[in-house]
Amino acid sequence: MSLTRNLGLAALILGAASPFAGSPFAAPSADQVDRLSKEIIQGDDHVSALQLAAWIRARRPGLRVIDVRSPQEFADFSLPGAKNIPLDRLSRARFAQGDTVVLYSEGGAHAGQAWMLLRMMGVANVYFIAGGLADWRDEVIAPNLPADASPQIVRAFEPVAELSAYFGGTPQVGPAGSPPTRMTPSHAPAIGAAADLVALRRRGC
Amino acid sequence: MSFTQSLPVAFAIGAAFGCTLERAGLGDAKKLAGQFYLQDFTVLKVMFSAIVTAMLGAFWLGRLGLIDLAAIYVPETFLAPQIAGGLIFGVGFVLAGLCPGTSCVAAASGRGDGLATVGGLLVGVLLTGLAMPLIGGFYASTARGPFTLPQLTGAPYGVVVAAIVLIALAVFAGVERLERRA
Repeated sequence: MSLTRNLGLAALILGAASPFAGSPFAAPSADQVDRLSKEIIQGDDHVSALQLAAWIRARRPGLRVIDVRSPQEFADFSLPGAKNIPLDRLSRARFAQGDTVVLYSEGGAHAGQAWMLLRMMGVANVYFIAGGLADWRDEVIAPNLPADASPQIVRAFEPVAELSAYFGGTPQVGPAGSPPTRMTPSHAPAIGAAADLVALRRRGC
Repeated sequence: MSFTQSLPVAFAIGAAFGCTLERAGLGDAKKLAGQFYLQDFTVLKVMFSAIVTAMLGAFWLGRLGLIDLAAIYVPETFLAPQIAGGLIFGVGFVLAGLCPGTSCVAAASGRGDGLATVGGLLVGVLLTGLAMPLIGGFYASTARGPFTLPQLTGAPYGVVVAAIVLIALAVFAGVERLERRA
């Protein structure tokens, strides 16, 4: 038998066996799973809506805000600069090495699952908004300062109010639903401190 | 692997690719143009063999855990611009009798038409770059991401591999018969 025929026969055998061979993609190793669970426990998997707002305002280089909801939901409302990549199209998404990817969904579940899928695909610097769009509304669009807040908390609230105003929000003082109050910017502490303040009144995670 | 580390590997793979093309006779413009007139099926046989070999290699090496298939770069699909690009490429191919790879092989073996094609190729790349403000919108349109046949068909990877091998073998047998008749 000629070499050509032998090679053709080898291709035929390997090709015919392929459908019964299972997936050629490696299953995640225990090492990989351990690494991801550590990221989750340490909270390296998510950022607050406030942090995302600060990144958007600062035009953080390589920031990619990804909305994993359906195109219809995305058309109704989306975060500034966001791109729509529904969950079923996530496997085709491409990210550059220096990108910071922030995922969000309506609640937080789908964005969290998308985080896991992207990390399994080897994408680094991925985060999701734990409470989804509700967090954006509560932390950025209508942040609330308790009426009896201490001067320290009032000071910590100032950068939040500034950020909220930047995104067209209305910071509120007093119980939720009270008339909007404009904050006067003064010496603004870091966003991290403000995020701590917001975390105090978040409804769980 | 860093960029400087991967360069020698890229050079070795490129040299092996060029050498294989030369050994297959694909540095000859007449042989390549013959494909378009259905007189010489060397291009089809060489390229389809390469596709089947690479596909079977990637599938089975991945299945045996010797390579991480997820780490292999899959070029992105841009449907409309790639159809337009394919047509322009085809016209250039039959006109020059060479494609980018084979033109480098022809140039390296001292053929004038190879050198002219490589020159034309570089001018084309330059002009496309300069025209990007005009054609940039079309260039990035109908993006499908890294789109593969298993994604398109919904069939398992292994079934797609088997189907392509069967198609390739049928095509090889068919063109062999055609060539024998000619």
